[in-house]
Amino acid sequence: MPPPRDRGQRRWHGQDADEQLPWAIVYYQAPDGTVPALEFLDGCPGTIDAQFTAVLDAVAAAPPPRFSGGGKWEAMHATMGGWYEIRLTEPGREQLRLFCLLENGTSDELARRGLPRPAIAVIPDMRKPWRTVFSERDYQRVRELGGEHQQNYPRRIAT
Amino acid sequence: MTSPMLDVGLHERRRNRRMQDPQYRAAYEQAARELAQTDAVIRQLDSLRADLGISKAELARRVNRNASSVRRLFTASQVRPELPLIAALADALGAELRVVPRSTEARRAVREHGRPRRVADTG
Repeated sequence: MPPPRDRGQRRWHGQDADEQLPWAIVYYQAPDGTVPALEFLDGCPGTIDAQFTAVLDAVAAAPPPRFSGGGKWEAMHATMGGWYEIRLTEPGREQLRLFCLLENGTSDELARRGLPRPAIAVIPDMRKPWRTVFSERDYQRVRELGGEHQQNYPRRIAT
Repeated sequence: MTSPMLDVGLHERRRNRRMQDPQYRAAYEQAARELAQTDAVIRQLDSLRADLGISKAELARRVNRNASSVRRLFTASQVRPELPLIAALADALGAELRVVPRSTEARRAVREHGRPRRVADTG
């Protein structure tokens, strides 16, 4: 089952629309202590890491539905409904993806998750050769990690 | 029940550390400029559409596209906006696309250093 949609329309209580801070960007930490997205970024060439980071910062500054995506951030659909992905291509044409969930809700709900403000949760990465497709099994793995993340109160994130 | 508040500053600390590397900073700033430009064009089109009181479906009809392609463009559901679609939408909204050169100084920096001067200091 896809995670509940958290598209950002719900106002984060306690803050005026004109005074919104950028959303936080947090990285899911697995039960074994690994942080898949950070390990992925650390392993990328610096220029690719920089591009992923720039996209995350742009989205955090103007979270959905305000940000159009700038050509690199996409709302996913069907079995991946509720997820967002950042899509980049390496110079060698390998396709790189970071999968994200939005953490938004009332201030009480955010506090329950341990989050001081709404956040983009970066969960796992995937990569694939040019002109190949991810399988449903690949996406299933992403959803499982996302489900694990959403079961945690407070969230288990890298700090 | 309220949970203990988490430290959500890791991303910012990591970014600030990485920005000490000039190559990383240049790539970051280039990506940020590209994102901002693409986003600004799409947002401006959507704003023009709203000002004219035209629905996304009607706009799609006027450019002979299906409604979903226009809706996707305006809702972060299309990763690579097509330039012909953007141009068609601008035309249908009584606007046009232009490439505007930056300042002489910025262009000189491109000629001499291969990239624009730093436009933002985020780190």
